[in-house]
Amino acid sequence: MSLECGVFHTRYEADMGLRPRPVQRIRLGVFALFVLLFPFVAGPYWLNLANQVAIATVGAIGLNLLVGSTGQISLGHGAFMAIGAYTSGLLTLHLGVPWGASIFAAALVTAAVGAFFGLPSLRLKGLYLAIATLAAQEIVEWGMTNWTAVTGGAEAIVVPAPVLFGVRLNSDFAFYWIAVLTAGGAALFAANLLRSRVGRAFEAVRDQDIAASVIGVDVFRTKLLAFATSSFLAGLAGAMIAFHRNIITWERFTLSTSILFLAMIIVGGLGSIRGSFLGAALITLLPAMIDNLGRSIQDTAPQIAAVLPYAQQAVFGIVIILFLIFEPRGLSRLWGNVKDYFHVWPFAYRRGESGAR
Amino acid sequence: MTRKTADGTGSGSRRIAGVLARTALAAGVFGWVGCGGGDPEPGDGAIKVGAIFDLTGPTADVGTDYADGVRGFADWINRQGGIEGRPIDLLYQDYGYQVDRAEQLYTRFVGEGAVIFMGWGTGDTEALRLRIAEDEIPFSSASLSHRLGDPGEAPYNFLLATTYSDQFRIALEWIAANHGEGTPVVALMHNASPFGLSPARQGGVEFAEARGLDLTLYEMPRGAVDYTAEFSRIRQSGAQYVVFQNTSGPAAVALSNARSLGLEVTFFCLNWCSNAQVVLLAGDAAEGLMGTMPYAPLSVDVPGTRVIREYLESTDGSAAGKTNAYTQGWWTFAAFAEGMRRVLAAGGELTGANIRAALETFTDHDMGGVTVPVTFTPTDHRGSKGLRIFRVEGGTWVPFTDFVQAPAP
Repeated sequence: MSLECGVFHTRYEADMGLRPRPVQRIRLGVFALFVLLFPFVAGPYWLNLANQVAIATVGAIGLNLLVGSTGQISLGHGAFMAIGAYTSGLLTLHLGVPWGASIFAAALVTAAVGAFFGLPSLRLKGLYLAIATLAAQEIVEWGMTNWTAVTGGAEAIVVPAPVLFGVRLNSDFAFYWIAVLTAGGAALFAANLLRSRVGRAFEAVRDQDIAASVIGVDVFRTKLLAFATSSFLAGLAGAMIAFHRNIITWERFTLSTSILFLAMIIVGGLGSIRGSFLGAALITLLPAMIDNLGRSIQDTAPQIAAVLPYAQQAVFGIVIILFLIFEPRGLSRLWGNVKDYFHVWPFAYRRGESGAR
Repeated sequence: MTRKTADGTGSGSRRIAGVLARTALAAGVFGWVGCGGGDPEPGDGAIKVGAIFDLTGPTADVGTDYADGVRGFADWINRQGGIEGRPIDLLYQDYGYQVDRAEQLYTRFVGEGAVIFMGWGTGDTEALRLRIAEDEIPFSSASLSHRLGDPGEAPYNFLLATTYSDQFRIALEWIAANHGEGTPVVALMHNASPFGLSPARQGGVEFAEARGLDLTLYEMPRGAVDYTAEFSRIRQSGAQYVVFQNTSGPAAVALSNARSLGLEVTFFCLNWCSNAQVVLLAGDAAEGLMGTMPYAPLSVDVPGTRVIREYLESTDGSAAGKTNAYTQGWWTFAAFAEGMRRVLAAGGELTGANIRAALETFTDHDMGGVTVPVTFTPTDHRGSKGLRIFRVEGGTWVPFTDFVQAPAP
């Protein structure tokens, strides 16, 4: 866990604490209040976006545990989400499993599948592992479209809307609570995982796997565990998509989905839970915001609005490149800098520079 | 112990500026989130219509002309004084063939008060099917998937052209009737998507069996620039006919590819590659290409194309370079506009249920001769069941048969 500027811990409890300082708790409280009030003031469009952000956050946290914390690249995240979506959808549709149970079961199944596809990580690293996970993506994609008996092939599968206490949760407003609770739970889980023995093992494997094995970390087991944990969250996100949309189509889980999730964690900040959320929000909202910009200038500047759809993908790419150049540690780091600045304000005090101007 | 800072370079003031400047990037993006999302404007009489177009995605080759057709009709009818005096306010946006963005835009436009919706792809129409039914929004997709025309499954979806499987059956029927000796061997080369598989999966395979045709499916991978492997398998299978279910770009690549390989077969294009673009792209290789074309290109002189040509000439646009996708976009929207006109003429309110009921009164509704007359009933939303087969002769599509009805499945 990185040290924050100007923070001193005198007790181990505080050192291990997730949010030891009052100001952190206040910030969390303000954010929680915002999350609680948001659905009552936002229209359906913004609720829809918020749900997409919440679901993407769950998936991004999962991928970040694998890529950011354990250093294992995966191009198969979309495929793992697909497995979650299809498993939960089919369980509920054919076996009548309640939605909560089927979401959990789907996450477990995805964890198992993810661990299986993580097997090549025993021998492969970096680019080679990326290609192996790319194969996982292709295999699952092929399975989705061609295993007609189970997945319905290219046809969509209709999933019944979740029901809670006799109420059908088919609106974005109702689903918001499920999505936010799940995203919050995933964040809490990941934050606690990272400060546990397992989490330290993840980071040890990422930083230097040989050194990790020397100090007693079972590298292969740790990698598989990272794949399983990451896929568990991917499956959770996929299952949520199934119940949010009530319809599963394979087109939602293609390679471009996998790459989008990688973009989220890179822009957000590798190895950071806050970064997973910020990246998920940015990558989900950016196209929507460019759309809105385009529509708002449709009347005043139709020429610009007409080319904006074409510029959109370029803008997307430029944002990622700018982040890689100017802040490789992502949005999370930007936010961290802001916090640090205000934390020590008005002194920009630095060791070794005291008084000497 | 002294205070530690996270990084240690630069002077104080520059550091502030740097932090703030970098934060501005993030804040600028998130700043938009707070504003926007305004309430629907109070009714100024304009009829709001939502639309999503593919201008940048994999089907943009035909999507752009379709989008222009829809926008063209909206502009044309507003110049005519609107629908019963009420102008159309078309809310539209490119969605790049991405299901998530289609859902966002659908939610947004319906939230802004759109009473009908012009959709596009098979994937997004499928994904929106339940929402459409719950929101009661009459929906037209350019996706002609057979089951979207079944009101039991999709009560608010309306199909304004022959479905893919009907088109495929028309092509197969023509092959079976004109083949002569021996078993006709047919290869269906399809886009790797629900759209691509739709003609075969929704009745095509069974029909081929029933008519004694030997049918094999070949997937055309997205973004492929060479189909040598597929064509060598097709050559080995002894196929005499190759049917494309894809957009014009990939079909043109395949046609040129087949020509350079010296493959002597009859090529058919279903809806989305039966257009001028495929001829433009494939050149001589498109000569003799047959196409099931539900909507006539602008070169065919009927009242329905005349009105479009006049409109295009009256604006700065020209009819040259517009494909039949333009006609399809224009007349698809026109049919919905007629449905809304009937509601308003009867003094009704423009609700989804009323527009749906009005559309279901269409009996042999004239489409200006660009396609067969359209009939909707409460149990059948497949508006048209026939089309003309066209053929490329001398670089242009000319009608090859008269209007033919799709054979029963």
